[in-house]
Amino acid sequence: MLARNFIKHIPCKNLSRHHILRDRVRPLIFFTSSTPQSSFSISASLSTSSSSSSSCFTDESFAAPYLSVRIHCPKHVVDPFSEALLCFGASSVAVDEDIKEEDDKDAASGSSIASKEICIESIFPVHEEVKMCISQAANSIGLKEIPKFKVEMGDEQDWITKNQDLFQPVEIAERLWIVPEWTSPPVPEAVNIILNPGFAFGTGEHPTTKLCLLLLQSLIKGGEAFLDYGTGSGILAIASLKFGAASSVGVDIDPLAIKSASHNAALNNIPLEKLELHLAPSENSSSGREMSLQKEQFDVVIANILLNPVMELADHIVSFAKPGATTGISGILSEQLPNVKERYSPFLENISTATIGDWVCMSGTKRGEFIDN
Amino acid sequence: MAAAKEILLRRPVAATIRLTVPAGGARPAPPVGPALGQYRLNLMAFCKDFNARTQKYKPDTPMAVTITAFKDNSFEFTVKSPSVSWYVKKAAGVDKGSTRPGHLTVTTLSVRHVYEIAKVKQTDPFCQYMPLESICKSIIGTANSMGIKIVQGLE
Repeated sequence: MLARNFIKHIPCKNLSRHHILRDRVRPLIFFTSSTPQSSFSISASLSTSSSSSSSCFTDESFAAPYLSVRIHCPKHVVDPFSEALLCFGASSVAVDEDIKEEDDKDAASGSSIASKEICIESIFPVHEEVKMCISQAANSIGLKEIPKFKVEMGDEQDWITKNQDLFQPVEIAERLWIVPEWTSPPVPEAVNIILNPGFAFGTGEHPTTKLCLLLLQSLIKGGEAFLDYGTGSGILAIASLKFGAASSVGVDIDPLAIKSASHNAALNNIPLEKLELHLAPSENSSSGREMSLQKEQFDVVIANILLNPVMELADHIVSFAKPGATTGISGILSEQLPNVKERYSPFLENISTATIGDWVCMSGTKRGEFIDN
Repeated sequence: MAAAKEILLRRPVAATIRLTVPAGGARPAPPVGPALGQYRLNLMAFCKDFNARTQKYKPDTPMAVTITAFKDNSFEFTVKSPSVSWYVKKAAGVDKGSTRPGHLTVTTLSVRHVYEIAKVKQTDPFCQYMPLESICKSIIGTANSMGIKIVQGLE
């Protein structure tokens, strides 16, 4: 059915079989984030309810208003109509599959027209002309009349709270748990990392986070200096301190991530001296890559980001590691691994990889001298 | 028979969601946030996965994603290359098509453009078995419906 494009199945808890197909690789472009904010503050107090903690982390972009539109559309044109809506200005179109049962019963008894309609939930940007878009979409597929629809202002609190509810305690390894802020640890004696990820990446559920945590657990013996490049929620930086590292530094280009990481540090009672957080300049800002971090300062460096930044920043990331230090790279798919390996070979030796599903974590030790290519 | 029944029970579909997301730019904000959050899908997992798989495309290329959400909050998604209308608009350098296609022509494209677009589209699963000529005809049709004329060569 679907030959050349890629399909991914992501189950809720465990990983099962899945298949991916890909096209050939095209030239790489650096991946950037949205415009940064100017300041943030460290909140040392614990918030008790999830709704107040979610408000800590929503800023303009997440609380952005949107229009939620319900459209009643004849069943037989749902697919082309959805595609047409997207072409003419809708941001997303969702079709509930649940209705099927009732329709079958109605059809058997000689139904009314209403059962032949299906309800589509669509999201539009605020400034969009919804009526125009729907009528153009209907015209383009040859519908005689414009479907009935209802427009409402989107309720962002609704989906934000639903998202937070998903976060459950995760057992990474024996005696290593990641626990949400609003739950008590299932195994109090284990190493528990308390998190409120906000909208930063890193809850411990994702395979790449698991791979990096396991790598970290094997590397930290006590007293190391650790660098988490692309810290997200700060999970790796905090974990390293719990495993016994002397100090941790977390870097990210997203100010929300820094905010989230500092909140999580406080949740785990980590003093500021042990965990430093730096906001790295993204491509949009004018300053260069200067940060107040010294080169060759860290015993362990991990970067769990995406293929493009990891390739582009290879020199930069490895420069922070001491010679002989271990550098781990993740956030890459198994098919992307050969490129990453090639890119990092001049800097790293003894390269080994760990895999969960399609995701890979590559690690190696920094060479004493660079090899010129 | 038992296996078939098992499959049906194991993966009941809750909804099908179609979205346009910029390549490498999925974030848990609208439209991704509300669209997926509504069905309790793991936003971060989707963003990370989608971004990783679209690294090879030029950033901000609008990708058409179709997500199948299952009742147990798991999901599958497929990513398609941008629609023909997007390629046509980009090639012509316009933001929107004509408001009165058929009557008002916004701009023109050459057959060379059509050929290039057809070559890219041929990699799409639905067009794979179609001869290039048919794909070209369909592109010309789309362009005309947007008020963009195809000419032999640009002056």
